[in-house]
Amino acid sequence: MNPVRMLLLGTLLQVKQQSRSPLEITISLLVPLVQATLAVYLFKAGTNPPALLLAAVGAGMMGVWSSVLFGSGAAIQNQRFQGTLEILMITPMRPAFKILPITLATGLVGLYSVVATLLWGVLLLGVPPSFAAPLWFVVAAPVCVLALGAFGLLLASTFVLLRNANAIVNPLGYPVWLLSGMLVPVTALPGWTGPIAAVLPTTWGARALRAAVTGGPVWPALALCVGEALIALVLGAIALHFVDRRARVTATLALT
Amino acid sequence: MRTLRLLTVGGVIAYRALFNWTTPAMFVGTLLVSPVFQLLFFVYLGRTLHVGDDLGYLVGNAVLSAALACVYGGTMAVANERRYGTLGPLLLSPLRRAAVFGGRALPYAVNGVLISAFTLTVGALLLRIPIGVRSLPGLALAICVGALSCSFFGLTLGSIGLRFRDVWLVSNVADAVLLLVSGVNVAPAALPPVLRAAGALLPLRHAATAAREAAGGAPLARLVPPLGAELGLAAGYALLAIGLLALFERGSRRHATLDVL
Repeated sequence: MNPVRMLLLGTLLQVKQQSRSPLEITISLLVPLVQATLAVYLFKAGTNPPALLLAAVGAGMMGVWSSVLFGSGAAIQNQRFQGTLEILMITPMRPAFKILPITLATGLVGLYSVVATLLWGVLLLGVPPSFAAPLWFVVAAPVCVLALGAFGLLLASTFVLLRNANAIVNPLGYPVWLLSGMLVPVTALPGWTGPIAAVLPTTWGARALRAAVTGGPVWPALALCVGEALIALVLGAIALHFVDRRARVTATLALT
Repeated sequence: MRTLRLLTVGGVIAYRALFNWTTPAMFVGTLLVSPVFQLLFFVYLGRTLHVGDDLGYLVGNAVLSAALACVYGGTMAVANERRYGTLGPLLLSPLRRAAVFGGRALPYAVNGVLISAFTLTVGALLLRIPIGVRSLPGLALAICVGALSCSFFGLTLGSIGLRFRDVWLVSNVADAVLLLVSGVNVAPAALPPVLRAAGALLPLRHAATAAREAAGGAPLARLVPPLGAELGLAAGYALLAIGLLALFERGSRRHATLDVL
């Protein structure tokens, strides 16, 4: 099968599957709405707050990261539970092409969060939809989401090696939200966090979306987000190749 | 004596069997590290927006951190019986449901207290926020009452697991809603009346208020009204949980849906 066709069809199938899960929909829709409400009221309570739209956009990005983090963490584990991992892995295609649709789908399902928090903020919380560069926002949001989905491949390949992947996944939400500047500007954090933030594609994705809202060049941050995601994609593909070979040699593919 | 044994020993056995996060990695990662990061997130957000003060966020989020163990734990305490196929034998036993399920909330309350104390200590050390020794009794009391109340709230959510399949959906939403309406991160006055009212009826709002007053140096006598309100909520949720468990048990026997997943 053509790899591009497999990626597209696989991603579509996974988006459909994840969109039918009440738990996925809750995490992608309801939880970000609660977070957006919290962020908007906090911003309103503040003295000299930044643009309220940043609260809604930031909460949406938080939802995307949650979706990618939990989705990628469970990407391979879920296939094991469903009994489809062996069938998937014996498909004559590179391992990355089989798992990437799952992680891309987690990002795309996370896109619900961005749309939902924006609509929620504008329609119900009185957030003025004042984008400095609306067209750039329309371009940047899906690009960031896909970039995070690609980054998810590295997460998935790392988590598959760990017995207790959830123990890593669960505490990784808040630190990435904080370090990436989704609601708190990176400049407000201690200086030593800067290099850590710089290697996260979420930082550049959030920065690109902030620039689209408040003004400033969007493309440099967006390019860095995509660049880092591509590096993560290559690293994830290499890691998955070795994980796949090791699991075949030791006959541990289906073992939890 | 038998009831006491059911409450304590039965509760601990159920905790060990049904709580999914008892492995060291999960316990540390999910229940200890995650609340500390949550605390840091809101402290820095508060600083950026100039809302509240560090001590208020520290103490409030420490109380709120109990919710993680109590809400999800309470859910697991009931829902996992069905998941592991042990719900049928449990409900066939002639034991009093109030003692069987009531005891299940207690280990999670203790867990919640430990998590709150850990979050408070680590948060205070990381952010270098001094807490007066005289504030400690009041803080300890507020944390204990908050964890108890939240634990019975978790059991109430867990009882829904006897009737509905996607109980994790309920606990995920409940955890997020507590973050919004508990008054820990957004002052109740800044919220619309509906959310303010919801916060007053959900656990932790009053405990967080008491904890903040205690941290501010208020005497124990001033903590009585909020802690009394929180204890009232704890009793209310305990009764509601037992009532819902009885109701859903009868319903699931009548419709033969006990083990339907």
